[in-house]
Amino acid sequence: MEFITTSHAEHAPDPVFHWAWLILLAPIAGFLFQAALGRRIELALGRGAGRKLLGFAAVLPVLAGFVVSVLLAIRLAGMDEHSRLVITSWFPWIDLQTLLVPFELRIDPLSLTMCLIVTGVGSLIHIYATGYMAEDRDYPRFFTYFNLFIAFMLMLVMGNNLPLVFIGWEGVGLCSYLLIGYWYQDIENAKAANKAFIVNRIGDWGFALGIFLLYWVYASNQDLLPLGERRYLSFDVILPLAEQVLAGYGPLVVSAIPLLLFVGAVGKSAQWPLYLWLPDAMAGPTPVSALIHAATMVTAGVYLVARTHVFFELSTLSMAVVAGIGAFTALFAATVAFGQTDIKKVLAYSTVSQLGYMFLACGVGAFGAGMFHVTTHAFFKALLFLGSGAVIAAMAHNQDLRNYGNLRKYIPITYWTMLIAWLAIAGIPPFAGFWSKDEILAGAFFSNLVQTPQILWLIGWVTAFLTAGYMTRMMMLTFYGNEERWRKAEAHAHAVHTHEHPHAEHAAHEEHDTAYFLSEDEVRALEEEEHEHHHDLTPEHEPHEVVPSMWLPLAALAVLSLVGGAALSGFNPFAHLLGWHLPHLFEGWNHPSVGLSVLDEASAFRESAAIEWALIGASIGAAVLGIGLFARRYIKGLPGSEAEPQGLQRLAGEQWLYDRTMVRLFVDTGGKFANAFYRIFDSGIIDGIFVNGSAKLMGAMGLLLRRSQTGSVRFYALIIAIGAAVAMSYVIYITTR
Amino acid sequence: MSLGVVVFLVMAIVIVLSAWGVVVARNPVRSALSLVINFFTLALLYFGMHIDLLGISQILVYTGLIMMLFLFCILLLNLGAPDTLFEQSLFKRSVAWFIGGVLVLAVASQVIGPLAVADAGPSAPQGFGEAGSVGKALFTGWVYAFEIASVLLLVGIVGSILLAKRRD
Amino acid sequence: MEGVPLYGYILLSALMFAIGTAGVIIKRNPIIIFMCIELMLNAANLSFLAFAKYHTAPLATTALEKWNVHMTGQMAVVFVMAVAAAEVAVGLGIIMAIFRMRHGVDIDEMSAMRG
Repeated sequence: MEFITTSHAEHAPDPVFHWAWLILLAPIAGFLFQAALGRRIELALGRGAGRKLLGFAAVLPVLAGFVVSVLLAIRLAGMDEHSRLVITSWFPWIDLQTLLVPFELRIDPLSLTMCLIVTGVGSLIHIYATGYMAEDRDYPRFFTYFNLFIAFMLMLVMGNNLPLVFIGWEGVGLCSYLLIGYWYQDIENAKAANKAFIVNRIGDWGFALGIFLLYWVYASNQDLLPLGERRYLSFDVILPLAEQVLAGYGPLVVSAIPLLLFVGAVGKSAQWPLYLWLPDAMAGPTPVSALIHAATMVTAGVYLVARTHVFFELSTLSMAVVAGIGAFTALFAATVAFGQTDIKKVLAYSTVSQLGYMFLACGVGAFGAGMFHVTTHAFFKALLFLGSGAVIAAMAHNQDLRNYGNLRKYIPITYWTMLIAWLAIAGIPPFAGFWSKDEILAGAFFSNLVQTPQILWLIGWVTAFLTAGYMTRMMMLTFYGNEERWRKAEAHAHAVHTHEHPHAEHAAHEEHDTAYFLSEDEVRALEEEEHEHHHDLTPEHEPHEVVPSMWLPLAALAVLSLVGGAALSGFNPFAHLLGWHLPHLFEGWNHPSVGLSVLDEASAFRESAAIEWALIGASIGAAVLGIGLFARRYIKGLPGSEAEPQGLQRLAGEQWLYDRTMVRLFVDTGGKFANAFYRIFDSGIIDGIFVNGSAKLMGAMGLLLRRSQTGSVRFYALIIAIGAAVAMSYVIYITTR
Repeated sequence: MSLGVVVFLVMAIVIVLSAWGVVVARNPVRSALSLVINFFTLALLYFGMHIDLLGISQILVYTGLIMMLFLFCILLLNLGAPDTLFEQSLFKRSVAWFIGGVLVLAVASQVIGPLAVADAGPSAPQGFGEAGSVGKALFTGWVYAFEIASVLLLVGIVGSILLAKRRD
Repeated sequence: MEGVPLYGYILLSALMFAIGTAGVIIKRNPIIIFMCIELMLNAANLSFLAFAKYHTAPLATTALEKWNVHMTGQMAVVFVMAVAAAEVAVGLGIIMAIFRMRHGVDIDEMSAMRG
């Protein structure tokens, strides 16, 4: 293997950056190991020892990637602030006369930030999953998908060209599909997986079109590129030249590129109007929700926007769209979260809302703040999901908030860690969420990219208030209140339908028709397994704290949620104000060689310290107000009116009827259209006329012609002789004429 | 009319008549004997054209090999007796002969006029039909075709053995 | 046989071929049909050889090319003979097999391939 590594620094880059390939290749090796040997090892060593080994083998590559990422980050931080960009190239992947796509990795502060999140939070969630999934039937399959997901995600964030990013993009979509439908025996999970995959296709369609458009633009402007440069899709080629190349194009193309890329980001990052898949994606195991649908994959859209931010900055329209969609989604999802009774659904809408926040930051030009929020959100949202997983595990896999209450008595570690995450997401200083959220709000307030950015700030502020509110509602209903609601007779029986199926056995006998793809032996095996493990939430249930492999990651994430924001807030333009200026590596990721000028202008507006302090006060106020108001309402337990959500709350719970409308509008109407099309065009024209019609025509001709097939050899000879005579006569006739 | 032309005419008449005999004879054995006469006279004609090797091959392959096979077959299948296996319908027979006539006329119309005018006599050099020249040509320019023909013959042998084998 | 024109051979060949054709059509005994086919092949051979002897090879320039033109006709005949030998061997084998199966060789009864 030979790597060619280039850098913006004067001297040749450190060969240590070759190690970046290890970050990518280690999870791939882990994936191959799990896929090829996982089941065999489990069979050979037995369930206990085999699973221990497999769990170790699953965590190891991700952890190795994290260690290498840290080493690279230290090395990169030692470089000059304006030259923190290393590209290491392995082999040409697509090598055409008109396009060169090498297999190349990009190491800069942005990609390393994502790498650290993916491998760091990822390895914690891996450790957690070894405990959470320990009793599952398909342990190796889970970690096969998990490692594969990490590999694709790393390719997405480290790839130096859009095709590589696209591989990762599609790959994480695939893994998301596989993991949402992990308990595929339940038809609902399979449907949720399909929904995620199909909705993501819409986004991918936009992303692919954006890539094609970029290729077209750059390939037709070769003269602006360095001589002989064919890497029309590599970031180090396209990003610095974006302004010059697009100068020759009208607003249509200039806006179309970022908007198409943003369509991809909307799909992957679950923004309105494509957020629909994310709440359903909670059908997967909780570690999946934590890893994919909260901490990493869904941030890919934010990453893409940040990575290609130069194109967004060139089009004011696209910035306004990003900010508008982000702000609307943040507010919309925050309201929906109030109507949810499923603990994971609350967190799902919270994720959608927080992602909207990140896009709001990008849309107002505060890309750094957006990425900062990606980082802190990864900490506390992963923690919240893992904590909710611990709660769910403690509560016999019942996910209904209305059946919880006073759990802090039973699962104190989970309670304390989740408490930190709650305060972090609500935005209470000095927890992580405060720093990034405050930075986004300040960025929105001072933005010079959109008209009256104060409206965006106001939306963000209201959302911050609502966020504190619904998180308080969730925490209060789960951990506080003196009533232990599952002890009341007849716990909410309907909640059975929303709860997880970690052992995959319920479906086999509850709904027989959903098990049609299992053989009888498998169904019997499932039923036997069920007798061993099956337990449901009964009034006599005693919640138990989770195993150490599950609460240790919780503790680690709690530490990160506690200090992560402050430690990293050197991102923060307020750093000098608050005196939190740690030397760190994240500065300079937006250096002009990468192309970002607007950000500097935007921050130039921040002159008045008084306004900044007022903004900080306002955001703390929103958090305190939200927590206070809703703590008062829920501290005693579930209000009687919420046993069944009523009125507005119920409407919010149904996503203001958005999902239903979309389903009716596109799925049902589309189905009808497709059905009509099928009947008229497919069976009518294609089948009727072309397929069967041609066959019938041939049949009729055959019926006519078979009369000539008498089987008499001499008759055939006669025909041949007549043919020969006629042909010969004809030739003679035309040659002698 | 030179002696050569007279000899040719005699041979041609024998050839045509024996060919006719093949078709009109009721008895297959007679047909076969007519064909032997036909092939043999044809070989003599080749000798007259100084195409010696192929004349000999004609006698060996056709009159010797192929006709023997035909006779064996006839005798083995006991088809020697006169039979009625010929077309009874006068109409069909007329059609057949008419088509034959058309073919002859078509060829004649093309060869008599132009070739009679342009006929410059045989142009082949001395000894072009001798065994040496034919052998040299076979093993130089046509050696691939020769080898392929040998494979074809081998396949023919294998195929006929398989067909003749009694499957019980 | 000096003085025989080319068209004499060709006409003779054509007559043989026509008789063979008529025979194939009107005979019902497959062995005779085979013989008629041999007749037609020999007619073709005859014209090959006649052309080989009489062809003036107007396009050939070198002596070797002229020589090759004269040899080509003979080569064709050689291969026709080879093919005929193989064909007769296989064909007669088929007839024998059919006879064994059906105890009769009327070709009009062999119509199993009727459409």
